[in-house]
Amino acid sequence: MSLTPETLPRHELNGLPVRVVESDDATREGLEGRVVIETTNTLHIEVSVSPEAARKRGGVTAEHRENGESRVVQVPKSGSTFEFALTDDAADFEKESGTVSKLADTEPGVDVEDHSSTTPDCAGEGTAYVTVDGARLLSRPARRTETTGDSPWQ
Amino acid sequence: MSVAEERIERLHTLARAAATAGEAERARNYVRLARRIAERNRLSLPRTFKRFTCDSCDSYLRPGTNARVRLRDGHVVVTCDCGHQARYPYDES
Repeated sequence: MSLTPETLPRHELNGLPVRVVESDDATREGLEGRVVIETTNTLHIEVSVSPEAARKRGGVTAEHRENGESRVVQVPKSGSTFEFALTDDAADFEKESGTVSKLADTEPGVDVEDHSSTTPDCAGEGTAYVTVDGARLLSRPARRTETTGDSPWQ
Repeated sequence: MSVAEERIERLHTLARAAATAGEAERARNYVRLARRIAERNRLSLPRTFKRFTCDSCDSYLRPGTNARVRLRDGHVVVTCDCGHQARYPYDES
């Protein structure tokens, strides 16, 4: 049961490269980064900020992170649609690099998206983009994996 | 490997990476989540996970940075910055 498009809603979301495709709040659309914290109702996405944008903001908000290039945005799960990028060697790549600050090679060129829930889009070269409706992820992070009881994650 | 086991594995990696990057509080979140998943799915945590996390404050331990490792007669003592000590035996051979 590795991390595949089918198992993704039940699997670990922390550390995955993600993009907000749709959102009730238009300002959140297009946010791209890495999931760093998951809560019952939200995902915290670490977005890397371009150096100019960081300077425009005065660099105050970004300064507390090392090299001041990223900030964490909290996005509610309900009312948003997320697109996760899965690489075949996602686990290996994380282990080897030993850091999660680098974004996976999310080339925008091979970005094929479908708007039905949990649709795998194999874009060749080991990167699959999975579009998931945020409402499908509404659950306590630890509870999402379970299949027993009245769990909706069977 | 089940999804739960894999999640624990992934969280271990993430916690280590976060601790290395100086995000101690985030690493703690990952450790807590991994513990919770193991609990809910009745799995035991991997030995490396147990040895590199603090039972008391859930920090991810990095010897030399936030943990002290000392050898005593027949056992290892790992002291976390929070003061909690973990002991485990080693084979003298």
